[in-house]
Amino acid sequence: MKKEGEIEFIKDGKRVDGRSFDELRNIKIDVGVLKRADGSCYFELGNNKVLAAVYGPREMHPRHAQDAKMAVVKFRYNMAPFSVDDRKRPGPDRRSVEISKVSREALDPVILREYYPKAAIEVYVEILQSDAGTRTAGINAASVALADAGVPMRDLVSSVAVGKVGGEIVLDLNAVEDNYGEADMPIAMIARRNTITALQMDGNLTKDEFEKGLKLAMKACQQIYELQRTALIGRYNKGESAKLKDSGT
Amino acid sequence: MYKIVIPGDFVSDDAKRAGEGTYVEEGKVYATTYGVVDDKGDIRVVAFNGKYLPTRGDVVIGKVIEISFPYWIVDIASPYEARIHMSEISTRGGKRIEFGDMNTILDLDDLVAVNVLNVDALMRIDLGLKEDLQIGRGNGRLIEVPPTKVPRIIGRKGSMIRMLKDKCNCFIFVAKNGRIWIKGKTKDIKLASEVILMITNEAHTSGLTDRVAEFLDSVKTER
Amino acid sequence: MGLEIMDDVRKDFVRNMLSEGDREDGRGFREYREISLKRDIMNKAEGSACVKLGDTEVLVGAKLEVGSPFPDSPTEGVLITNAELVPLASPEFESGPPNEKSIQLARVVDRGIRGSGVIDLGKLCIEEGEKVWILFLDIHVLDNNGNLVDAAALGAIAALQNIRVPNEKYGLTGEETLQVHDTPVAVTMVEIDGTIVVDPTCNEENAATNRLTVISNADGSLSGLQKTGSYGMKEETIVEMVELGIEKAGEIREKFLNVPS
Repeated sequence: MKKEGEIEFIKDGKRVDGRSFDELRNIKIDVGVLKRADGSCYFELGNNKVLAAVYGPREMHPRHAQDAKMAVVKFRYNMAPFSVDDRKRPGPDRRSVEISKVSREALDPVILREYYPKAAIEVYVEILQSDAGTRTAGINAASVALADAGVPMRDLVSSVAVGKVGGEIVLDLNAVEDNYGEADMPIAMIARRNTITALQMDGNLTKDEFEKGLKLAMKACQQIYELQRTALIGRYNKGESAKLKDSGT
Repeated sequence: MYKIVIPGDFVSDDAKRAGEGTYVEEGKVYATTYGVVDDKGDIRVVAFNGKYLPTRGDVVIGKVIEISFPYWIVDIASPYEARIHMSEISTRGGKRIEFGDMNTILDLDDLVAVNVLNVDALMRIDLGLKEDLQIGRGNGRLIEVPPTKVPRIIGRKGSMIRMLKDKCNCFIFVAKNGRIWIKGKTKDIKLASEVILMITNEAHTSGLTDRVAEFLDSVKTER
Repeated sequence: MGLEIMDDVRKDFVRNMLSEGDREDGRGFREYREISLKRDIMNKAEGSACVKLGDTEVLVGAKLEVGSPFPDSPTEGVLITNAELVPLASPEFESGPPNEKSIQLARVVDRGIRGSGVIDLGKLCIEEGEKVWILFLDIHVLDNNGNLVDAAALGAIAALQNIRVPNEKYGLTGEETLQVHDTPVAVTMVEIDGTIVVDPTCNEENAATNRLTVISNADGSLSGLQKTGSYGMKEETIVEMVELGIEKAGEIREKFLNVPS
């Protein structure tokens, strides 16, 4: 994070992209976009394009990693090399390993893992285009994909980031705001229960700013939840096709 | 009219009737899965999708994926592998099966119709072979649908599947795990698969049996 | 994955004790174990510190090397924080490439330092676009009895505070020490059956539903937060933990980091 004098982040109460402080970027959600996966979701957040696929519950390998009492959730967050301005070297790096862990823990609380002892539930999130907030988009997509796969859950999980830019607490930072802003705080929550399942913060915030940001993020998660819900309900009302596949794979 | 729910949706106040696809919290019934509410009898959420979980007595179609004396290990489209013990067939022809000979009875990739004999807490699944039903031999196709759609494909008291078999001139065996074995002439198999896909896609809608009948009749007159 | 390895008996034991107002080592819920901090103990490292938090022991070494800047920040030095959970420190640690636990530990410590601007990376530039100081902070866990983050974060700041810049080694002239502008302190708390407990031991970490690390600065502002664990938390709990974290950080800072510069 660095301060860059020449960028005016806030002008006439609006942000660089014209949004107000508490405004989300455009969100688009498509359910069941992949044929092979058990469940899937395409999620756009502004300029972010994210795809999530769920496989399972299925046999957990390696066997020693099985949990005799409940299913293990595997979560892999991966950025496509072309998803960022400077090509990203393919494969996991430290950032993606940490994000995978945090995202998995964001979803664990809602998945009824005890229904499937010893099994694995695999979640794969691919960032196809990145514009700040990819981990929150990934969690949102994964939550919908899990529902689509028929994985039993207590509820959905919704996620968004807040941050501090030009001295203001704002919702859902875009790339410029994220690069030059003063703080970034992604959260995930079970919106209907007001329960927070992921929380990270980097940068610098006062305690009051933190509390204000948390409230702002929690409110936005309710909005995102409604969009996730609408996408899921809408899918079958549209008469989208289910899968028929020849067996023996 | 059917009602679509997503995980966490409130379904009912009647916790005593909470059934499959639901959970109870503070006396209220919520959905665990994305599906359609069915409140005839128990309050259930019939999932759109999901994996097969074996229950004792189910008849399923499996594939032999490993031979590990004295077991055949069988994939039954579930998160858990199942097994057939050698003794389940060793009486056949009066000959004992020797170590190393198991593959002469059932080999890797062989398809089998099996009964679920037992499922224990560690999800070890014992199977018995249904020797009267041969899967994968002759003209046929094995397709897979979400196991949650199976009741709809069978229909009330078997009405849907009876109609399918009649009008498509096919032998159709619908296993509990969503695998369906269809045998007959190629064009008949194709028609049957098409109708099964239609049922799968519209499983949550009402008046489906009539629409399927109509569709089958229209195809019949075209021919 | 610690959380799974714990057997239920020990988990219940920890819980029962907390419900009776006690902890396995007799501490108050908001009390740290005894902290010991030794500075400048490794003479091959440009800065170092060893932190003991009860039985937990973490060594932090800082190395400075000359290297190239990142293309997108030609006038800034580079800070690289790394953590190793070597098998010597715990029966649960395995040798091999960094895993998600060690990566998370390093990244949380790293964020605390960056968030509060402890180091002016611009000051680490030697020649724009060509030569800069690369500052490596290596966290080496020697004994794990829980709360590695707090020990590592304290060790990291202490190591930075006593850095000697190896100008001579590279034929350079310049400042001998590194200016350390802030003293972020990490305070980790766990929630066990609704009770908040500070500075958890391994058993407490394993019995906990959630863990929250709060990193705060000398002025009381926050420079990092990280929630760990597969359970949800209430807003009130988080806010309470943040307040408590800031308070505890003040105490630790006062005792260990407010050295005359």
